[in-house]
Amino acid sequence: MAKLSFHHNDGNVDVLDVDTGASVMRAAVTNGVPGIVGECGGNAMCATCHVYVREPYLASLPEISDDEEEMLDCTAAPRDEARSRLGCQLVLDNGLAELEVDVPDNQV
Amino acid sequence: MTQEATDARAVPTADWVSIADLHRDPFPIYRTLREEAPVHWVPAINRYLVTSYEACHIVENDQEVFSANETDSLMKRAMGHSMLRKDDPEHQADRKSYGSVLRPKAIKQTWDAIFRNNSDKFLARLKAEGPGADLIWEYAAPYAAENLRQIMGFHNASQEDMQRWSQTMIDGTGNYADDPEVWAKSEKSSAEVDAAIDEILPRLRKNPDSSLLAGLASMPIPLDAIRANMKMTIGGGLNEPRDVLGVAVWALLSNRGQLDQVTAEPALFPTVFEESVRWIAPIGMYPRETTRNTELEGMQLPAGARLGVAVGAGNRDPKVFDDPEVFDINRPKKPHLAFGGGNHFCAGAWVARASVAAIALPQLFNALPNLRLDPDQPATEAGWVFRGMTSLPVVWDQP
Repeated sequence: MAKLSFHHNDGNVDVLDVDTGASVMRAAVTNGVPGIVGECGGNAMCATCHVYVREPYLASLPEISDDEEEMLDCTAAPRDEARSRLGCQLVLDNGLAELEVDVPDNQV
Repeated sequence: MTQEATDARAVPTADWVSIADLHRDPFPIYRTLREEAPVHWVPAINRYLVTSYEACHIVENDQEVFSANETDSLMKRAMGHSMLRKDDPEHQADRKSYGSVLRPKAIKQTWDAIFRNNSDKFLARLKAEGPGADLIWEYAAPYAAENLRQIMGFHNASQEDMQRWSQTMIDGTGNYADDPEVWAKSEKSSAEVDAAIDEILPRLRKNPDSSLLAGLASMPIPLDAIRANMKMTIGGGLNEPRDVLGVAVWALLSNRGQLDQVTAEPALFPTVFEESVRWIAPIGMYPRETTRNTELEGMQLPAGARLGVAVGAGNRDPKVFDDPEVFDINRPKKPHLAFGGGNHFCAGAWVARASVAAIALPQLFNALPNLRLDPDQPATEAGWVFRGMTSLPVVWDQP
């Protein structure tokens, strides 16, 4: 199991215990976490699962692929060069057993 | 969420719905249906019609229960078995074969300049025709067709060929009346596309460029899959940009206040684009088939049920969008269903946004001062599976 926290702009926090192997986007969508859309089902094609990863976890993240890189330039909320990622590309696994992200104001 | 049918409601029958009425204007029908239930059996189309946002959304995100691989599919007959009628992992393999040709980076590096050039070319054609010209047939359709021809790499065809292929094969996919003349035209176009692919693939293998066919030429993909996917792309890749462009212009010219707002702030054109496809989705309905007895938003469905997923209806669901029948670029932004969702999310979405919102709309309103509807010739729109403007006569001030 992995622990995943979504911090919203209104101060609310959704904390989920998710199975390892799930992506941040999938975990959010299946648990009804607001603010994460995931229109394209996880193909790095729509940029609607944008999250800002919190500082202590940045070093544990997988590298940004070319597909994710170009999609991060298409997000509705401004890209943060250091912290912006697509939730569908962040898979909770043994190397990333805990994660905290900020949810952007908008995804479309 | 979906689950085995237990105490779900029985699906009501809507025997009052006719194809002719849907074709003329589906939206009042959708509203009446949605108010009663999210799913109806509609005898006229021999399908269960799904009209609520929530039910459409559930269907497109669950390919195990709602398969795209429809039995006796007209689309398979007209175009071959394309990725649009496959589920993963077969779908994913085909989809991956498109590589990055349609993605934002390639659009910026290669296609934007080509789109701009094509827009100039067909704007000149529209202007030469003079006030009273039809914006759809003098500009939107040839622009979308020429863009698509170049993206796909059909260097051995014309934009007129693309338009004919697209229309006749799409007519085949919707040939529920089994009209032999429609099949004959569709089959003729299908054969022409096969011949064009056979001719161009070896050339592109020797001289590769940035096109879709050049990418496919270098991959170990079965020819049948290439053919079917190219035909599907000719279908969807032409109508959608053409129809969103036409609808966006019509909507703005019919809503002077919003037009003034956009003219003053061109950064709003992407918002115009998204609101246009929400308001009138160019692909308004697509099929799915249940793989088992199931429940969809509380409604009971048997295994093998043929569904019509009416995203055009879901996009006007008042549970999601306030005052949904109204075109309003100032409504709160929410995700719409016009590009589909899940694994079949439209691969051409970024091309459509770039070519229509970033190039065509701003260029059009810039080039034609005081663009307005022609008071002497009415604009017309039609369709429900595909919906768009069938004519849009416009006038403007000439210098």
